[in-house]
This record gives sequence, C-alpha cells and structure tokens, in this order.
Amino acid sequence: MRAPIARGTWAELAYVILGAPLALLGVAYVLVCGLLGAGLAITALGIPILAMAIPAARWFGRIRRALVRTLLGESVPAPAAFHAGQGLFARTSAGLRDTTGWRAVAYLMAGLPVTLLGLSAVVVTWAWGLIALTYPLQHALGVNQLTARDADGVIRHGFLLGGLVLDTYPRLLLVSVGGVVLLLLAPWAVRAVVLLDRLLVRSLLGPDGAAQRIADLRRTRALAVDDAAATLRRIERDLHDGVQASLVALGMNLTMIAETLGGDASETTRSLLTTAQTTAKDAIRELRNVVRSIHPPALDDGLDTAIATLIARGPIPVSLHMDITQRPSPAIETIAYFCVAELFTNVIKHSGADHATVEISQRDGHLRVRVSDNGHGGAHLDGGTGLRGLLDRAATVDGTIDLVSPPAGPTVVTINLPAQP
Amino acid sequence: MYIIIAEDSAILRDGLAQLLGLRGHRVTTVGDAAALHAAVAEEPPDVAVIDIRMPPTHTDEGLRAAVELRRRLPAVGVLLFSQYVETRFVDTLLADGSAGVGYLLKERVVDIGDFNDALDRVAAGGTALDPEVVTQLFGRGRRSDSLAALTPREREVLSLMAEGRTNAAIARTFVVTERAVEKHIANIFTKLGLAASDTDHRRVLAVLRYLQSS
Repeated sequence: MRAPIARGTWAELAYVILGAPLALLGVAYVLVCGLLGAGLAITALGIPILAMAIPAARWFGRIRRALVRTLLGESVPAPAAFHAGQGLFARTSAGLRDTTGWRAVAYLMAGLPVTLLGLSAVVVTWAWGLIALTYPLQHALGVNQLTARDADGVIRHGFLLGGLVLDTYPRLLLVSVGGVVLLLLAPWAVRAVVLLDRLLVRSLLGPDGAAQRIADLRRTRALAVDDAAATLRRIERDLHDGVQASLVALGMNLTMIAETLGGDASETTRSLLTTAQTTAKDAIRELRNVVRSIHPPALDDGLDTAIATLIARGPIPVSLHMDITQRPSPAIETIAYFCVAELFTNVIKHSGADHATVEISQRDGHLRVRVSDNGHGGAHLDGGTGLRGLLDRAATVDGTIDLVSPPAGPTVVTINLPAQP
Repeated sequence: MYIIIAEDSAILRDGLAQLLGLRGHRVTTVGDAAALHAAVAEEPPDVAVIDIRMPPTHTDEGLRAAVELRRRLPAVGVLLFSQYVETRFVDTLLADGSAGVGYLLKERVVDIGDFNDALDRVAAGGTALDPEVVTQLFGRGRRSDSLAALTPREREVLSLMAEGRTNAAIARTFVVTERAVEKHIANIFTKLGLAASDTDHRRVLAVLRYLQSS
C-alpha cells in the first residue's frame, strides 16, 4: 500500500518519462542511418556510413545503461569495447560485424513499443488516477464535465460512464475511489513495463557471451605475450649479470693462478690451466650466443639498434631502411627482431644472395617488416626453412606473413604486425 | 699505472682489481657512475675501466659516464668494458675520435697479457678495440663494397690495425717481417684512397673514419 510513495516508484516513473525522448531519438537515429546507408548504398559512401553508424549505436546503449544505473540502481556491465582495427577496410568490416552495435540497434527498435507501452501505463494509471481522485473538486468548479440529457429528459452535468451521469455526491465519491484504486495500481503497472525494459537492456545492451570471451582472450593473450617478453628479458639480465660474471671471474682466477705459479708450474699444470682458461672463454662465448637467441640486449635500445647490430655481424651486405616514429611494444619489437633474424639466416643459408634489404616501416599503427634478397628464390613456407615457425610466431599477435619467391628469385617476405599485441 | 674500475658486479670488480694489482698497477674500485666521477675528481687515473651497464637503470650509464669523462678530461684513457658489442655504443664512444679509448668484451680479461697491452695503449692515447667490435664495423663498412678490393690478407691486416695494433704486433701475428706489413698497409691505403701517415694513432683514426663513414 505504500508503493505509491516509495522512492523506487518515483524513480521508475522518472525512468519511463526521461527514457521516452531517448527512445524516440534512438529510433530516429536508426531510421535516418538506415535510409542514408541504403540510399547511398550504390555509391561508395553507403556501406562505410552503415559501418560507422552501427558501432556508434553503442552510445545509446551507454546512455541507457547510465539511466538504468542512476534511476533504477541496476548496474548492467558494459560490453567489450569496439575493436576497430586499422585502415578503412578493416574499420568498415569490423563495424559491419560489430555484434554489440547490432544488438544496440535491436534494442533501439524494440525499445519503441516498450516506451509507448510505458507512456500508456503512466497516462492510464497515474494521469487518470489523479483526475478521478480530484473529480469531486473538478465537479464543484464546473470543469471537466459533459452535459447530457438523462432518460427522464433532465439536463445534467458530469462524467458519463455507460449512460450513467456521475453528478451526485455518492457517485462523485465513487469516481474518487476509482482514482485511488488506479493510483494504487499505478506503481505496479509502471514497474511491470520497466521490468520488461530492464530485461531488454540486460540482454541487448549488456555483454554478449561470445564477444566478451573474444575480448577476454584478446586481453589475456596480450598479457601473456608481454609477460613472455618480459620474462625473457629478465632471464637475459640474470645470465649476463650472474652466470656470465661468474664465468669471467672464474677465468680471471685461473689467470691469477697461472700468474702466481709463474715458472714453478710443471708443463702438465700449465697445459691444464691453459685448457681451463680456453674452456672458460668458450663457455662465455657460447653463453653470449645463447643470450642473443633469448633476447638480444641491443633490443633495449630499440629495434633499429638491434637490427643494425644483427646485420653488421652477418657475412653479406645488407641495406637497412627504418622508418619508425613510435616505438612498438617490447613484445612486438622482439617478434619483429626474431623474424628479421630468421629471415636473414635463411637469406644467408638458402638463397645464394649476395645482397639483402631490410625495410621496417609503420603504417596505420601496423609495423611492416620486409626482407628481400637478390638470390635464386623458390622458397616456400613448408620448405623446412623455419618460415613456418615464423608464421606461428607472428600469429601469436595476429600478424601475417606474405612470401613472394618465384623460381628465379628474388625473394620478398613481408610481415605485418600490430603495434600492440 | 693508476686505474679506476667502475663495475657494479662485486665479483668482477674485486677479481679484476686483484688481477691488475698482481701486474703492479694501483687500482681503485667503484660501483656506479656517480662514484666514478667522484673518484676521478679526487685523482684522475691513467685509465678508467668502465662497465657499460651499471645501476640504476642498467642500460648505458657507463657509456654516458665515459663520454662525459672524455669531454671533461681528454687526457684520461677510457676503456669500456661490456658483456656484448653494440654498434650504437661503438659509435657514441668513437664520436669524438679514437684517441685514448677502448672497447673490450669482459671475457678478454682472461688473457691478461692482451688486456694489459690494451690498457697500456689506451693510457698512451692509443686505441684498443675488441675483435668483435672491428667485425661489426667491417660489417657496416662492407655496405659500400669498397673493401671488396682488398685481398684477404689485407683485410686481416686492416682488422688488426683497427683494433689498434702496431706494425710490429701485426708482423708477429702473421709471422712476417715488419717491412711486409708496411707494404700491406701501403696497399690498403692506396686501395681505400687514404693518404698514408707516419703515426700509428693517425693511422687508426683514418681506418676508423673510413669504416664509420661508409
């Protein structure tokens, strides 16, 4: 019985009334974009307009969720953010396939009848209830009444209900009682419609199972890739600062033993010492190669330094063109570096080339790595040359590899990586 | 000779100090760049042996300290001491010429005789570059293809020259006479279009300038 004065009642009423213009705007948005998109579909503009309009429908969802949260106290989790991708084509394709956007559009369409239902409920229960409640007052003031002639031919003023003129006091009070009943029903009627709307909001504007899963996987994969890169870097540090330092110290101690013994040592001791020193030096050199294959320290200074160092060590001349304005994430740099290292090894081992070119550029937030040589070509992905491994490595961040290697050469390998995993 | 060692790894720092002490050098050890500058201010050494990676960031503190030291006290020899060779380090270090600088991999201390020679050269205003460093410089130099004109032996001689070796040392390495080495060098200069000069130091400068500019 306290429902009409409870706080939730007023909030729901406000929700229906405030939500109405938003719903109308939403429907107008869908109609305008739909017509514009369809009308321009024969030109190049139509599809991109649709592709932009669909993800943008998420804004209505965002406002609606805020309204639900503020007035109804229900927090509907936001769906995964729109992942546009780079370039017009990728953006258009992602926009058209944006399930969350489509679901928002579906809500906007379904929202119109629900809103009309809600407004009707408000009018029938709240408005009529109030009018009926205050009817005796209105009668006294002579407003809001019809004039009719009854069965006896007498002219009377008042509400007409099924031929019955409501103008005497018991009848006037009956109308008031009817108003009270309507007002008592009002909160429940509005609540029923709001519940229906909340159901729609939850299922259409909340997170979508599959899309959410993809977003979660994308995020956790990026974390895993970054974490792996960071771990490798830490291992590299530990090897350099720990193991290598110990090996160098060991070598120095051997040297000191040799120096201290001087001429006192026997021929055997001397040769054993020399062997031990050589072994220590070999171990240090091998360790340096291992470290380089884990995480080249030069990568800390950027991809350009690391690749310049890499190709300077190789046996054939390489032209290097770097055009990077913004440093990619460490994980991407590592992947790009090892791709170049692997391709460079292939060029040296298999291509018979005497010159190679490494080009690294950034476009649309993508990192493009291109390695070409003047060798005899004929390379293919399954040739056991590590190209398959390269493909797998790039695939961990949605990277792609394009291999062009006609039988007479030249071989051009292009790798596209996102700037962030 | 008075040597300051800047190295954050205690085991290497103490080992090297002991080793150089055995060779009759006076050694001071410090653990980071700030302490290095303080020690140099107190008494400038003949040579500062500086680890490239030092606290706090463990990236190139040592390199920056070395560059600053060279700018402030050109008379102090600077020997960079690193776990690996990086082209950028070499470029930065040699940007102001190659007089009194060295860049050696840490493992070279195992051959203390060679390491001691390198210290002597750097202290005397010469150059000591690790064979790995020279390989890298050659790797870049090859881009211009002008080195292709050299014979294998001439390339070997050029490498040793770039490391900072004297004619006598080169002659010992190849078991040939010094005159033979001089002939090789004359050929190298002719083929590379460099005017031969009489001092070792100018010779190294010329070689490096050629390698770096190409």
